[in-house]
Amino acid sequence: MKSRLPAPYGRLINRQKPIQFTFENRIIHGFSGDTIASALMADKQYLLSRSFKYHRPRGILTMAGQDANTLVQLPSSPNVLADKQAIEDGMQVTGQNYTGSLIRDWGALLGVFSRFLPVGFYYKAFFKPRGMWEKWAPLIRKKAGLGVIDQSLKPAYHDKQYKFFDVAVIGGGPAGMQAALSAAVGATEVLLVDENPYLGGALNYSRFDSDGLYASGLLQQLLNDIAANPNITVMTDAVCNGWFADNWLPIVKGNRLFKVRVAHTILCTGALEQPALFHNNDLPGVMMSSAAQRLLHLYGVKPGSKAVILTGNNEGYGTALDLQDAGVTIQAIIDLRKNPDYDDIAITAVKKGMRIETGQAVYAAQHQGSMRITSVEVRKLISQGICSDHGEIIACDLLCMSVGYTPAYQLACQAGAQLSYDDASAMFTITNCPDKLHLAGSVNSLWALKDVLSEATNVAHQVTNELGTTDLVLESPIRSSIPSPNHPWPIFAHPEGKEFVDFDEDLTIADIINATGDGYEHIQLVKRYSTCGMGPSQGRHSALAAARIVAAATNRTVADTGVTTARPPFSAEQLGQSAGRSFYPARRSNIHYRHLEAGAQMLQAGAWYRPAFYANKNLSTQDCINHEVANVRSNVGLVDVSTLGGLELRGPDAGEFLNRFYTFGFIKQPVGKARYALLTNEAGVVIDDGVACRFNKNHFYVTATTGGADSVYQSMLKWNAQWQLDVDIANVTSAYCGVNIAGPNARKVLEKVCFDIDLSAQAFPYMGVRCGLVATIPARLLRVGFVGELGYEIHVPQQYGEALWDAILDAGEEYSLKPFGIEAQRILRLEKGHIIVGQDTDAMSNPNEVQMSWAVSRQKPFFIGSRTISELEKQPVSRTLVGFQIDDKSAPIPQESHLVLSENQMVGRVTSCCYSPTLEEVIGLAYVPPEIASEGDSIIIKSTNGVLVAATVTKVPFYDPDAKRQEL
Amino acid sequence: MTKQETNIIAPTLATRRSPLYRRHLQYQAHFKQVGDNIVVDSYPNEGAINDEIEIAKSMGLCDLSTLDRTGFKGVGTPQWLASQSFKVPVLANTAEEQSSQSLLIKLSAQEILVLSDLLFLSEDVKRLYQKAVENHQSYDQQIYNLPRNDSHCWLAVTGINATELFSKLCAVDLRSHKFVQGAVAQTSLAKTNAIIIRHDLNKTPCFYILSDISGAEFLWDCLLDAMSEFHGAPVGLSALQTLASNQ
Repeated sequence: MKSRLPAPYGRLINRQKPIQFTFENRIIHGFSGDTIASALMADKQYLLSRSFKYHRPRGILTMAGQDANTLVQLPSSPNVLADKQAIEDGMQVTGQNYTGSLIRDWGALLGVFSRFLPVGFYYKAFFKPRGMWEKWAPLIRKKAGLGVIDQSLKPAYHDKQYKFFDVAVIGGGPAGMQAALSAAVGATEVLLVDENPYLGGALNYSRFDSDGLYASGLLQQLLNDIAANPNITVMTDAVCNGWFADNWLPIVKGNRLFKVRVAHTILCTGALEQPALFHNNDLPGVMMSSAAQRLLHLYGVKPGSKAVILTGNNEGYGTALDLQDAGVTIQAIIDLRKNPDYDDIAITAVKKGMRIETGQAVYAAQHQGSMRITSVEVRKLISQGICSDHGEIIACDLLCMSVGYTPAYQLACQAGAQLSYDDASAMFTITNCPDKLHLAGSVNSLWALKDVLSEATNVAHQVTNELGTTDLVLESPIRSSIPSPNHPWPIFAHPEGKEFVDFDEDLTIADIINATGDGYEHIQLVKRYSTCGMGPSQGRHSALAAARIVAAATNRTVADTGVTTARPPFSAEQLGQSAGRSFYPARRSNIHYRHLEAGAQMLQAGAWYRPAFYANKNLSTQDCINHEVANVRSNVGLVDVSTLGGLELRGPDAGEFLNRFYTFGFIKQPVGKARYALLTNEAGVVIDDGVACRFNKNHFYVTATTGGADSVYQSMLKWNAQWQLDVDIANVTSAYCGVNIAGPNARKVLEKVCFDIDLSAQAFPYMGVRCGLVATIPARLLRVGFVGELGYEIHVPQQYGEALWDAILDAGEEYSLKPFGIEAQRILRLEKGHIIVGQDTDAMSNPNEVQMSWAVSRQKPFFIGSRTISELEKQPVSRTLVGFQIDDKSAPIPQESHLVLSENQMVGRVTSCCYSPTLEEVIGLAYVPPEIASEGDSIIIKSTNGVLVAATVTKVPFYDPDAKRQEL
Repeated sequence: MTKQETNIIAPTLATRRSPLYRRHLQYQAHFKQVGDNIVVDSYPNEGAINDEIEIAKSMGLCDLSTLDRTGFKGVGTPQWLASQSFKVPVLANTAEEQSSQSLLIKLSAQEILVLSDLLFLSEDVKRLYQKAVENHQSYDQQIYNLPRNDSHCWLAVTGINATELFSKLCAVDLRSHKFVQGAVAQTSLAKTNAIIIRHDLNKTPCFYILSDISGAEFLWDCLLDAMSEFHGAPVGLSALQTLASNQ
């Protein structure tokens, strides 16, 4: 703890709250407010991780969560940014991507062979002979892994929330804070977002005046003003991870993804400091100037004891002053500029007598067996990127780089802004922002604080004027003439390489040049071939250098070379944050819990829960189902059919509509009758079926399949939008709860609870429909026979379903009425030879193939698909759906989609098959060619495990072919 | 009055049962009979009725699914309802409280939803249903009744934090100053179709939700889950009635 600098250094840490955690099993002490990286640095742990490819030692680079150097492993999570992740008591942190230990990583031997592993090496080396990649891939991937996933981890709760504001200001530095305050004058709802746990950005750590006092005063004033302004909502520790159309902003905070919609977005995202390229520029101890300043001011940690500053601007001098103030010895300031144009801060450094070397560069860093730099070699700059042959070795354990910035352009470019390169300032600039997207601050290439504040105010006022809440006269923002902080070429190639362009992927200057040499000259191709910019930091620190190198290698300008596309997300986000809380709507009938209470095993049909069968602990599943079947055939059963679609068609043209929509005729359908309704599409393909019940001249109640109800309803609306018939169509599927009481005793049971309808066969015959009361509940009764027995479908208002179920079960007790499930119903219908649309039909099935021509009216002028069906009927049939019976009952029962073979060729497939407890035979339906579709023809089915099963084509229905039982 | 004084009635006494009554039983709800229907009066575990009112003022969820409601659509619907002395809003997606305190919601130019009032002062819904049965069962006058009693569950989310709850489940901006009294949104709530109606109980924000009745339990659970961070809880009808009747 003594290693910490006294306050006011360390503004983020709470020295009263010590925290203890481990890194590589070593106990580390830190404070509340520390990140893993700051606590490790304070504990003199400089080595944080190993690099992706060559397993090189890596330490702090940006201290801003913007690079892959600080990726560490937590037990629950790999690839955690150590310079973003706050420490917690008991936290167990380890390095990642090493073999052996973090200190002694055998994987680092790869670096010895780096000259044999050029860019594109994998593509060239491992793809021959054919199939070899599959052998190599596991080894390579294991070597290049990034952390370990805990697959036993229970995912944390994530969710999403919508937010709405007039203005969103992204970035809470001086520009963002001023923009928010200025916008809040006119806009009532302003959102200010910052990825850090604090507002203020560089005001927290950077030096804006020679005394180093101005920033903190300004910061406090801005913070006070924001806190006092009720129109500003502040979200810190929140990352705006993208920009989508109409200012839709995904903002990640903790385990929640905020989906924010705003009228205007002001981007104050700042600029990202860039590294210089020299030999060993990736060693621990080499870091951005801003990283060193963050360590000092935010965490009270000295980043080193002897520092060299490599600079191409005046800001490096500010860093030197900060370090010297904190007790760090400044060994030298190496200024790339031959004739620097000093500002007040630089002049102060000069006056303090620091050693300053102008027109020189750091050519290489050395580490002398240590995991941290021990010295740098400084050489004189002869021309762009070329250094003298000899230089001076300067001992140091810290090298701060201050050679320029790239605007954080990602969000702006996602919105359609253009990124250009300005040769004069050696900097990327953003132009052509779309309407309602604005820039302020260093993202817009402003570097003087007064310029930044002036522009932020101006932009915010422009926004409120556009919102119509103010009518302010816009003043021209201040533009000071200060030199660009960017040096045009802080790139110094070394004969031994290791001047890293992309730290994530271990790519050097030679790798980028070689990529262009291999013919990949376009920056997008360079990216894909070399993987430059494809790592966790997504090119934030490599895009500028890569563009410069590619431009030079291909004799183009940097402006012509450009940068690769910046796609969302801006920073890595967890899958849980994208997925959020999952919603899987579930539908239940009013009878649902009665099924559960009766032991039903439920299955899902779309969103619906349906009882598959009712379990009995003394019986196997199949026996349970067979008992249910037997009870229906010999006695009476009750099944919940609430999930069937229900469509109400009312109006003078209801009959005409159905006549056009379904294949049958409906205009002359008598009132009080149901009629089978088969639906085909324009291609003549069977897509649904049900029954149409006519309750009065202008009223039909039509059922549809469970899975097809919504699409049939939508199709009805679509067609009537064209036909403009006088009919109202309503989807009442959920409004009705339905049961089917079926079996020879069905009438006797129903008579006990239904008194106002004559249920006799004469008064209420098969395919009749009636309205009445069942157990005092208003009901629609349909005498239909899907299972092939005397039966009544009873449809009642949904909230009466459970009471109806209870009443019928009570009434049926003396007849041993039992509920039956969907599995029994499937067997029952198959015994009757009834098809299930979607199971026994496919995307090509026409009525003729499935032997439903009887359901197609030829007497009417039109129905959907009529033209196609009439043409198809002129063609020879290529397949037909037939019934079959397995010859050997002991053979494995074929399953749906098992193949029908003829002379070892596939000629058809099974659509349904089961053991029939009624017939004590294995029966099924299958598509077969017409030449083997006649009753008595033999077919071969390739059943489970390839067993060939002989079957005989059989006439359907298998059961009760004269349909006497359902007409009782 | 404490909740313990309320008579205990089983929800299964009625033939018409809310799809959520088992959820209410899990919360040990007390039920009461209103006409032919049984509704949740209160949840005794939450404390005295005054506590439940405070919950409702902050964030409450109430099941109104057994209360009466009806709907009509067709070209002739607005005119017919006007002829029945109802005030029909000019604009679609607008709700208008009637002098009888029932609520008429215009969902589109030709579709109307009518909700009974929470204090049962009005017989509007029953009267309209009866009229429709008497006059429009031949379906030749372009007025079609809809079974809203059973097609949709009816929930109420109440309290000053209600909009925070909706912001977790719905993409529509339902904040108080944007989604004002009488506003209606036909939208998606937790991936389920829903009609959301702003109808405050005096000073307490209140949002009615009508959604597919078969998904009522799913939606109820989603709402409860989303409101947990705001300490929201189920409330009975009595709390809402108190808020509705207090001036």
